Amino acid sequence: MASTEQVSLAHSHPRTGHKRFKWSRLKPFLFILPVLLLSGLFLYYSIGFTVYISFHKWDGLNPDMTFVGLDNYKRLFADRVIRQALWNHLRYFVLGVGLQTIVGFFMAVLLYARLPFHNVFKAIFFMPVVMAPIIIASIFRILLDANFGTVNEILRFLHLDFLALPWLGDPTNALWSLVMVNVFEWSGLTMVLYYSGMLSIPREIYEAAKIDGANFWQMITRITFPLLNGQTSICIILGIIGSLKTFDIVMQMTGGGPGIATEFLNTYLYKKYVNEFNAGYSAAIGMLILVLSMTLSIIQLKLYDRSRIDR
Amino acid sequence: MYAKIKLHQKIIIQVVLLALALLWLAPLTVAVVKSLDINGLGNYIAVLQHPKVHLGRVVFNSFFIATTTTLLLVVIVSLAAFAFSKMDFPFKNILYYALLVCLTIPIASVMTPLFVTVRSFGLMNTYFSLILPIAAFQAPFLLLILRNYFDTIPNDLLEAATIDGASSLQVLYHIMIPLGVPALVNIMVLGFVNSWNEYFIPLLFVRKEELYTVTLAATYFTGSKFQTPEMVAQLYATLLIITIPSIVFYLFTQRYMQEGLTAGAVKS
Repeated sequence: MASTEQVSLAHSHPRTGHKRFKWSRLKPFLFILPVLLLSGLFLYYSIGFTVYISFHKWDGLNPDMTFVGLDNYKRLFADRVIRQALWNHLRYFVLGVGLQTIVGFFMAVLLYARLPFHNVFKAIFFMPVVMAPIIIASIFRILLDANFGTVNEILRFLHLDFLALPWLGDPTNALWSLVMVNVFEWSGLTMVLYYSGMLSIPREIYEAAKIDGANFWQMITRITFPLLNGQTSICIILGIIGSLKTFDIVMQMTGGGPGIATEFLNTYLYKKYVNEFNAGYSAAIGMLILVLSMTLSIIQLKLYDRSRIDR
Repeated sequence: MYAKIKLHQKIIIQVVLLALALLWLAPLTVAVVKSLDINGLGNYIAVLQHPKVHLGRVVFNSFFIATTTTLLLVVIVSLAAFAFSKMDFPFKNILYYALLVCLTIPIASVMTPLFVTVRSFGLMNTYFSLILPIAAFQAPFLLLILRNYFDTIPNDLLEAATIDGASSLQVLYHIMIPLGVPALVNIMVLGFVNSWNEYFIPLLFVRKEELYTVTLAATYFTGSKFQTPEMVAQLYATLLIITIPSIVFYLFTQRYMQEGLTAGAVKS
């Protein structure tokens, strides 16, 4: 990553009395117009329309919509599937991010020794981040298949038949399987974040600690990890956002099942619209996701602005 | 931290890293081995001759969509990032943060409006129905990255150029773009990878097999029951054929990919 020293001049000048170049008044708007038309219009129109639909009963196809007031929202708060979905989001996030942070940090510490081939290892761990989640999910779906899956074939071969479980067919196993795929996919990102953070810690700190008699373990827990606080909070917020966006992996591996055991907000919303033509209720779920995700955006922006100072 | 590292410690580190690497390579390795079951390379030939979904076409579709989306994004995001970074205008901050607050919106949350809009414009089953929404949802994030990078380019350079009579587009083209190359590479990588991997938007808007992307093809083939080892082998062969382009691409550009995909998380 490029130098962290530069500070933007635009911000270092006091706002008042700073003379900018003389652009014509309309020009800036012409520059931002394409993005405003594409993203602004598109996103805000969609959000506005979602608000509107959420107060109606509608099949999403025919022109006739019936105003139902807050009915969809009342249903939302009473729906046990929503509660299950929120609980799944929470578990998926806590287990997933917890494991990703540990695995990613562990990988980064090992790579930091910078022994031969460390770049090859780094490339291997990062590769799933680049691959499409839906393709990774497809491969794991076959690997974990109860009958044909390679995982169970290997377990049976090792005479560990009692461990050859229906990985996607049992409520608890299914959620854990999703978490493990998530860890496989995203640990590489955590690793790279921690690794580049470690490279920016001055070596003198470790030398001083060594003189003071600190051992390897103490250096990691008392120096490295605390100094990389910024990275940890970024991993956590990215993990929450990732959990909230979860769709591909769940749809492909469990379809939300068995029953509602691995239902997530996005998969539930999708089914409500596509299978049941319940656009109104689907939009109310969408509103719940929108409120959560916009709050997260703000937190992420705050962290992002701080990351320059932290490093 | 690793001031004086002994030989046996080096060996331990390498062994642990190797074990982890084998674990991380295991799914792909199994896929490769299993894809050669029974008919060997015949499985690949069989799936390439699938009557309905042509895998070459599938890869082309994803490539075409990802490339066009990325080019569109680079152009519009550069223009906007330049204006937000170097120009003063009314409502600047309001407009900027209004865009950025959409940073993490899951596409699924607004699926009904998207679907209704795209259908009413008659865009179902067109490349447009994929390129425009995919670009729209990515633009805020890329704007954030590029604007922050443009902020680090000193204003003096621009002032000198404007005194020399350069127009704003010339300033963008001759100063900001060349100096912004590292960030531009990052947003291109990010834009390309995210567009290639996008699943939800094709799922909504594509019903015709000729327009299938790699992500849709993956679900199309895994959707049918795989009963025999031969079918499993062909399924793996299919998944590998549509994944190989992105793996090869990654091997050649992995440094940029690692930088690009982490650029969104921390400032450069």
